[in-house]
Amino acid sequence: MTPVSRAALLSLVFTLVFDSKVLADPDLPPWSERAIQDDIDIESLATSGQDPIPLLQALGEHLFAAKFTSLDGAGRPDATGASVPTKVRRQSHLRFQRLAGPDANACASCHNEPVVGGAGAFTANVFVSEGFESADFDTIDPQFSNERNTNAIQGAGLIELLAREMTADLRRQRHDVLSLARRNGRPETADLETKGISFGRLTAYPDGTLDVSRLDGIDDDLTIRPFSQKGVFASLRQFTVNAMNAHHGIQASERFGPRWTGTDDFDADGVSAEMTPGQISALVAWQATLPAPTRKKNLPDIWQSASTRGESVFGEIGCASCHVPALPLESLIFHDPGPFDTAGTLRQSDMEKPLALDLATLDWIKSLPRDERGRTLVPLFGDLKRHKIADAQNETYGNELLAQRFVARDVFITAELWGIGSTAPYGHRGDLTTLNEAILAHGGDATQSRKDYSALSESDRQSVIAFLRSLEIAQ
Amino acid sequence: MNFWHLCSNVLLGLAATTAFNSTGHADNRRTSQAPVPVFAEEAGAAGINHTYDGAWEFFVGGGVAVFDCNGDRRPDLFLAGGNNPAQLFVNQSASGGALRFSPKETGLSGKQSAKVLGAYPLDFNNDDRLDLVVLRLGENLLLEGKGDCTFEIANRALGFDGGREWTTSFSATYEAASDHPTLAFGNYVDRSQPGSPWGTCHDNFLFRPELSAAGQVSYPNPVRLSPGYCSLSMLFTDWNRSGEQSLRISNDRHYYRGGQEQLWAVSPNRPPRPFRKTDGWQHLKIWGMGIASIDLDVDGFPEYALTSMGDTKLQTLDVEADETVPVYQDIAFDLGLTAHRPYTGDDLKPSTGWHSEFQDVNNDGLWDLFIAKGNVEAMPDFAAYDPDNLLIGQWDGKFVEAGDVAGIDLDRRGRGAGLADFNADGLLDLIVVNRAAPVSLFRNLGEGTTATVKPLGNWIAIDVRQPGRANTRAVGAKISVKTGNRTVVKDIQIGAGHASGQLGFVHFGLGVAERANIRIKWPDGDWSHGYRVFANGHVIIERGAEKAHLWYPE
Repeated sequence: MTPVSRAALLSLVFTLVFDSKVLADPDLPPWSERAIQDDIDIESLATSGQDPIPLLQALGEHLFAAKFTSLDGAGRPDATGASVPTKVRRQSHLRFQRLAGPDANACASCHNEPVVGGAGAFTANVFVSEGFESADFDTIDPQFSNERNTNAIQGAGLIELLAREMTADLRRQRHDVLSLARRNGRPETADLETKGISFGRLTAYPDGTLDVSRLDGIDDDLTIRPFSQKGVFASLRQFTVNAMNAHHGIQASERFGPRWTGTDDFDADGVSAEMTPGQISALVAWQATLPAPTRKKNLPDIWQSASTRGESVFGEIGCASCHVPALPLESLIFHDPGPFDTAGTLRQSDMEKPLALDLATLDWIKSLPRDERGRTLVPLFGDLKRHKIADAQNETYGNELLAQRFVARDVFITAELWGIGSTAPYGHRGDLTTLNEAILAHGGDATQSRKDYSALSESDRQSVIAFLRSLEIAQ
Repeated sequence: MNFWHLCSNVLLGLAATTAFNSTGHADNRRTSQAPVPVFAEEAGAAGINHTYDGAWEFFVGGGVAVFDCNGDRRPDLFLAGGNNPAQLFVNQSASGGALRFSPKETGLSGKQSAKVLGAYPLDFNNDDRLDLVVLRLGENLLLEGKGDCTFEIANRALGFDGGREWTTSFSATYEAASDHPTLAFGNYVDRSQPGSPWGTCHDNFLFRPELSAAGQVSYPNPVRLSPGYCSLSMLFTDWNRSGEQSLRISNDRHYYRGGQEQLWAVSPNRPPRPFRKTDGWQHLKIWGMGIASIDLDVDGFPEYALTSMGDTKLQTLDVEADETVPVYQDIAFDLGLTAHRPYTGDDLKPSTGWHSEFQDVNNDGLWDLFIAKGNVEAMPDFAAYDPDNLLIGQWDGKFVEAGDVAGIDLDRRGRGAGLADFNADGLLDLIVVNRAAPVSLFRNLGEGTTATVKPLGNWIAIDVRQPGRANTRAVGAKISVKTGNRTVVKDIQIGAGHASGQLGFVHFGLGVAERANIRIKWPDGDWSHGYRVFANGHVIIERGAEKAHLWYPE
């Protein structure tokens, strides 16, 4: 941890107090069962000129691993897990349950393989749905939920930065084609592409209207949403606010507070103001600064040789057309809040100045290659784009009944393969135990690559597996 | 003791939750928990120099039509002037910037542009260019939009007799199977009668379209809606979710004798018929000046806010009523919506309410109510300083006054008004026509300043069209917006308010939702499929289209 002046820390750190007893003696006893004890004044931190990473990282790490208790506000008896504050139709008699949630004590109780912040086994699957209003009834109907395996978060800061740059670039292209149509007085069409990834076509009309029907792999608002198996969350911050409510019943004030719900205890568990913007920022910072996955070092020769061959085959059979080995990143400054969040997730406009986390100061970043323009090459093996990945012949990845956030059941964002060697099992449901099974499950847009893989010699198929298993999350 | 405990030597409680904008008024009225937007008055800077004024006949009226007259999808303005000429202002505001308008000739003669009390936009000839109905002291005018904010008087072409009355209210609907609108004109005092003005309210008129053998439409034979009770606002509304629009009329008890608020059944091919006591309609006598309608509880039965001198009413269909019996109860007091006297200042006399309009000014997904206020002229028993109201909807279903916090509490006598997003930044701005004082034009800054606007909740603006059909702007349609498990609805209507109408993008606050599902109940009762849209943008939904079009005002 970078040394931080004690005086500055003292000016920025607060301890939450919830009841009169604590107010009377705010210094909690060391045996306190409260997991959320500390807070950070992010407005002061953002303007202090200080490197915010050490301060935020430390609290974020603590909160990520903390087992939240009822004293913190764990549980949401009167609220659903939906991202929009929603009251339950009838309360469950269970504080926790694995279907409608809350389903976890801590972030780390699922994100823990091979290290905290990592992926989860099938055991740690969760159920995503915005339709739960009655834990007793809705959850036994499969149309109300999809089962999802826990994703690894390592490298997520770089992923979000890539997504932000791509969103900004695509919106600039939208602006340009609109201007062109206005100027020329006739419809104009643009092929959208950013960082070498195509996102379909956009037709602009002279009156400023847009035809978005030919967009490909992105939402109509041209926001890259890189997070979740489906690819439907724009930022770590948005995801964190959602997850804190859905999985723990910890409700962030920036979405569930009186401003948007009329109460500071929307879930009616007797605990108000359960999580502050500062605490969310700490969680975001910790996740955003998690080291990106790497490649296994010191492989035995036989594995290294196979891996090298496998990486070549991976490209030859078209896997790399979606699982793009690396995307270039212009800036390593991670602003929190980010530029594309909307109301309910803290926005840049809600602060005088956003926090600026310079990821370039992190040791692990320095090992990433740069291109001739000095851009950081992020080795994600992904394209941050959604694709149809199942069809009638191969419906493994289309095994859900429910669209999620406007995205059809057979469409998912390309899984980033960095770290895949550390994150078995595979697939959005975590029900594929080997990489070979996961590859053979590809359908839809990936059908040809899957066929080409199937047509490989056994040796080449093994080499692809050897390559993929070399992509690891360091322990 | 860990790192954080070491740091907790400085321990400050965060027990005080965020407090929004205290009103500071001595009556200790409730503070809004929902965010209150800041409004900056910038009519002069925006290039709008206009005053509604005149003698007794112009104590009432003072309307504004908010509509796009040049096809750029930005709302323009037609302002009634009373004794002063009506004026047209073309919107030239930069997106997200300060408001800016430029005056443009109306094409009306000096005589025609004088004595205008109000105006309502609609597309009466189905050419998808908005037309204008102009209410006057004397001949009312149907102005056919010709594009680029030019108009032609269409009275003669449509066989429409604009009359000689003192017209103070208007509403329009498309009756079943009709390709052309039915027009209702509400009149005030008949000054030619003996004993005027007391007890001499003029009849109102209903103009139904008639088609010639050649298919030409005309309005030759108005039907009298008699008795008239000095109407100051009227609205075609589907009060009982029957699919048929009835005509609600709010009347000024100051001049009528034996009058009341009215509801007329307007069934296709049948003469209009007033609901009577035997139909369940209850006698209500108020100084009715402006109607605002919204379905607050989304039960299919709209609520109606009726402004008056003194308290505002909020009528909801009584639980004992059914779809054939229009029995209403007043819930204004329960919801904190009476707005019966000034909320700030020292004047405790009753208020005088005029234009009213439900909109969502803070984009939190809850309806707010704006009421224009102002003494009739110098009535000593009513408040002289009578600021406009901005009643912010709360999550408990009640409303909290925040006009002063928002900065709209000017010492002017408000009349007509309109809320629209003039600079396309997702925040509803406000124009208020004042009697004998300059028009007020307020820019909504969210929680920011003129230098830096700060957004509030998420929002969506929806323009609904029926291309290739009559009723191009889908008057009578219902827009349903669903976020999460919550639905809000709004009808596309022409009428209500006080002498002021609007047509264009319909604005919905979405709160913290980043997406919404939109469905349209078209005027013929058919429901559209769901349109999935992302927050914070303008969408255009054309009947039959698979996807909504997006509009970017950049």
